[in-house]
Amino acid sequence: MSPDSVDRVNRRTMLAYAGTAAAVGLAGCSGSDGSDGSDGSDGSDGEDGGDGSDGGDGDSFEIGVTMGQMDSGLDPQDHAETNTEIIVGQVYEGLLDRDKEGGIIEGLATDWERTEDGNVRFVLREGVTFHNGDPLTAEDVAFSIRRIVFDDVGIVSPQSNDLGTIDEVVPGDGEVVVDFASYNPIAFQLFATNGPIMQRSWVEENDGNYINQNTNGTGPFVVTEYDSGNQVAYEPNEEYWGEANPVDELTMGASSESSTRVNRLLAEESDIVTNVPPQEVSRVESSDVAGINSVASARIIFLQMRYDVEPFSSQQFRQAMNYAVDVESIVEDVLNGFGSITAQPTLEGHVGHDPEIEPYPYDPDEAERLVEESGHAGVEITLETPIGRYLGDVEIAQAAASQIDSLSNVSCELEQREFSSLVQDVTAPNIEDRPRFNLLGWGNGEFDGSQTLTPLLSSEGALTVLENEELDGLLADAEATQDPDERVDILQEANRLAHDLAPWVFMHQQFSVYGVSSDISWEPRADEFIDPDTATRQ
Amino acid sequence: MSFGRFVLKRSLQGLGVVWGVVTVVFALRFVTPGSAINAVAPLDADQETRQAIAAELGLDQPLYVQYGQYVSDLLRGDMGFSYIRGQEVAGLVFARLPATVELALAASVVAIVLSIPLGVLSATRRNEPVDYGATLLSLGGISTPNFWLGIMLILVFAVEFDVFNTSGRGVDVGDVALSLIGAEPFVGTLLAWLAYITLPAIALGTYFMALITRLTRSGMLDELSKGYVQAAQAKGLPQTLVRYKHALRNTLIPVITVLGLQLGTLIGGAVITEAVFSWPGLGTLVIESINTRDWPVLQGSLIVIGTSFVFVNVLVDAVYAYLDPQVVND
Repeated sequence: MSPDSVDRVNRRTMLAYAGTAAAVGLAGCSGSDGSDGSDGSDGSDGEDGGDGSDGGDGDSFEIGVTMGQMDSGLDPQDHAETNTEIIVGQVYEGLLDRDKEGGIIEGLATDWERTEDGNVRFVLREGVTFHNGDPLTAEDVAFSIRRIVFDDVGIVSPQSNDLGTIDEVVPGDGEVVVDFASYNPIAFQLFATNGPIMQRSWVEENDGNYINQNTNGTGPFVVTEYDSGNQVAYEPNEEYWGEANPVDELTMGASSESSTRVNRLLAEESDIVTNVPPQEVSRVESSDVAGINSVASARIIFLQMRYDVEPFSSQQFRQAMNYAVDVESIVEDVLNGFGSITAQPTLEGHVGHDPEIEPYPYDPDEAERLVEESGHAGVEITLETPIGRYLGDVEIAQAAASQIDSLSNVSCELEQREFSSLVQDVTAPNIEDRPRFNLLGWGNGEFDGSQTLTPLLSSEGALTVLENEELDGLLADAEATQDPDERVDILQEANRLAHDLAPWVFMHQQFSVYGVSSDISWEPRADEFIDPDTATRQ
Repeated sequence: MSFGRFVLKRSLQGLGVVWGVVTVVFALRFVTPGSAINAVAPLDADQETRQAIAAELGLDQPLYVQYGQYVSDLLRGDMGFSYIRGQEVAGLVFARLPATVELALAASVVAIVLSIPLGVLSATRRNEPVDYGATLLSLGGISTPNFWLGIMLILVFAVEFDVFNTSGRGVDVGDVALSLIGAEPFVGTLLAWLAYITLPAIALGTYFMALITRLTRSGMLDELSKGYVQAAQAKGLPQTLVRYKHALRNTLIPVITVLGLQLGTLIGGAVITEAVFSWPGLGTLVIESINTRDWPVLQGSLIVIGTSFVFVNVLVDAVYAYLDPQVVND
């Protein structure tokens, strides 16, 4: 941190002098000398000086990002959470990448295709070097994929399911062939989101402790300082194969307190802050140093209902719950409009989304009628919600539970649960051990409907609350077909079926809300990844 | 009992407490909800992956085996390996400890520098406006939650007046020390350090400032009413000498005891202040570890915090016994 922080502080030298005078004054006397307070006020006069020195920044484009949490180590293949992905993702790249909207673009591969036997071939970009100067080879790529999917290659990676079921990876001359256990219709989607590439010899020469504190990727940034749990400093990779990086210095830090993140933005100590809560949005928007940028994320929020227990075993009752919850008002009032209503498991823009499906309207009368028809009038249910895991989760659940409870023939209570505790039940091996009715969020970084439908609603899904042969059949067909258009049709049909079966109360698509300094121009991405190298000076 | 035996006895008692801390902290993992496997595995991980992760973390072993292994590793100085961060726990914890100690010491300085003069002033000018002001200030200091105070300090002095940094620890006291030998300009580095540490130190130290102010005031009043003070005054000694050389010196003995004990509390109690100021110390590490269910790191952090507290207590006991030999016999 030292170089950056000293520079940063130098820019504020005048302010620091004045502030220190006040601090020293405070510490050095009994506090009865009011003149010390005046010294503090003088500090504010120093702002002009600070602005003046900001002008010196004209030579150097520095960006500071503050997230909610720091990384869990720098090994790009040994984590499964977004914050680490953002921090290591500045350094490591995959074979394919995504644009801002989630479309697949080139990464370390310049070409990709299906082979005749249904496997996939990636043609590697030429002239790519790791940050240590060594060239990228097909052997490095094959090793990296193996390290993720095979338990006996170094680590048990939590990403082992992220690339599908792979039998073997065969390096060739400037290319790599990935041999799937069976035809994988979303192979390229998987590789566009997952599979960071590391250098084989570097990984094999170093232990996990070292790999988690040092980096050697091919990406646009090189780590210059890693202060675990505090911040990571980067400089541009001068040998990068892509476009010239406009950012001269990048610093990534974190604060778990949202108010502190916003304060960092408003004090011009940070240029991009993540997860600005709805109640802080107006404070940012009313300032003249920053604004709000938001984007619909790949995360869907829903209330899932277990099909095998009463009253949720009744399709009518499940539909009634959908009519009972006023999602529009929840998005407007709780989320300040930062969300969009959903009608199906697949989000708009994802493969398989059916734009024809309409959300369930808010209709308490219809809800009461369906509850009567289901034979469960007078039932008492409990909605379980995690605390602080998703944007406004508790408030959303409170509103939904209250609206359900206001039905004349259903009583609904809310149970708030710590996320780790709830998720232990949600991921229980047997469905009968899972919660009956709970709020959950699901991120679909692959932008493909099957990546939501299969784990959450197929009979064999790791988190499923539903068993329906017709839906299972459709998902199996979608998995088997090699015709992309036909696959979209099948997934759309699966979404229509899911809408009617109503295994969830379809809530909303969560937005990613960022505070962005007025000094820069930067557009957020749908997949929650932060790409500071696309920022420009205002 | 000799002084040496007293210290030995206290140290052995301290070791017993540390062992208790180790056991309780280890047990916490099994009585709190949530699984470490879910912290590592993605939500949709299949059962095979979960079992493989459990085996890799040693969580498939019987409880007594895990406990025995943990205590045995600790005795060899091995605090374990963070399965979330992929790093040695000892390295992570001891990398954060200096920041917490630095903040605790800075908060103590804030507390001492303000409280003792204020307490003395309050006692020597009893029932005067200064006394009322000091009493009000100390009452406010004790009543104000430090997270609220921290946020207010940030809003006023960092955001509104842009005088201090809002959060983080850009420069540490080591950088200041190094600047003395010319690595960086000393004044600039010192000011940079103060820009980071001042607000969290005030937020954390205010409660103790208030506490010690009250303690100093009552102690000073007590001493001033004693016969030896009146004798000294009757003898014609200057008021300043009587107050500051005789009365204050005696007042400070319990104050120092409390200060020592509070230093231990500050090390363990800085969690909220560290979170508000994103101060990269042990408190932040504890919160991060809880959020990610990183049990080895959480256990290591809590053991270090607990051991620090015990160490400071034993040290204070020893100093107190040294200053007042009656304690040994009691």
